[in-house]
Amino acid sequence: MAFQILINIIIAATWMFLKNEWSFPSFFVGYFWGLVIIFAMRRFIPGRFYFERIMAAAKLLFLFLRELLLANVQVIRDILRPKLKIEPGIFAMPTELKSEWEITLLSLLISLTPGTLVMDISDDNKTLYIHAMNIPDVDQAISEIKNTFEKAILEVTRNV
Amino acid sequence: MKVNDLILQTVTTLLAFIIIIFSIYLFFAGHYTPGGGFIGGLMTSAALVLLLLAFDQKTMNKVFPFNFLTVAASGLLISTLTGVGSFFFDVPFLTHTFDYVELPILGETALASTLIFDLGVYLVVVGIAMTIIQTIGESE
Repeated sequence: MAFQILINIIIAATWMFLKNEWSFPSFFVGYFWGLVIIFAMRRFIPGRFYFERIMAAAKLLFLFLRELLLANVQVIRDILRPKLKIEPGIFAMPTELKSEWEITLLSLLISLTPGTLVMDISDDNKTLYIHAMNIPDVDQAISEIKNTFEKAILEVTRNV
Repeated sequence: MKVNDLILQTVTTLLAFIIIIFSIYLFFAGHYTPGGGFIGGLMTSAALVLLLLAFDQKTMNKVFPFNFLTVAASGLLISTLTGVGSFFFDVPFLTHTFDYVELPILGETALASTLIFDLGVYLVVVGIAMTIIQTIGESE
């Protein structure tokens, strides 16, 4: 990924040399052509085409914003109800994520969406202990997190 | 009871860089805008304290292998020497001057001798703050 960005910047700089224009618009045009060239030659470069990853990261951001809105509405409904009808609980969620950055990102996303909060991480970094404000069904809560955030994070970080 | 500080440590490694670059900005901003040696030094100490909270004393001693008392002393020495330097030009003690210098890349830049005095202040603040915190932390 970093190697591809480096190639792209070198192509943009070469473009500026050829045009003899040292300005941001010229750099931008060179960068765009660099993207096109790298996309065409992506079979020869190890790893994924890096623009895909940037798109996946943008997707993750929008997914997070959507989840934030929905969960907030849910929590407001729980608070404003005259009779408290919540079932708080703590459950363990096994995670497939490996690196420290992935686990941190997942934990922060879970903590930032209302109603769920990461309390602890097991010593082997394989299980997250999550406190939820309202879980009638544990398995459903686990599968929801797995299908939204974990999948999106894996989409960003997978290398092949 | 040892807890897994994974999230704190990962976020700290990212945040420390941002805090330190902000402290350097504050240090250089002091001449015309709010900022200066004192607040820059406190910011740097804040970044170091954050690292100290997330990791432990042993790791910090490996990353920054110098005695912070020496840092404070050298800062005091630098500040005093900028004052002494004014004697060579037959002006009163601690008189500062500035000049516009043509630098190769930056173009015309105003360089003031006050900056060196501020560097001394910066080092004193970092040294004293870290010495106090490490001394309190070590006394079991």
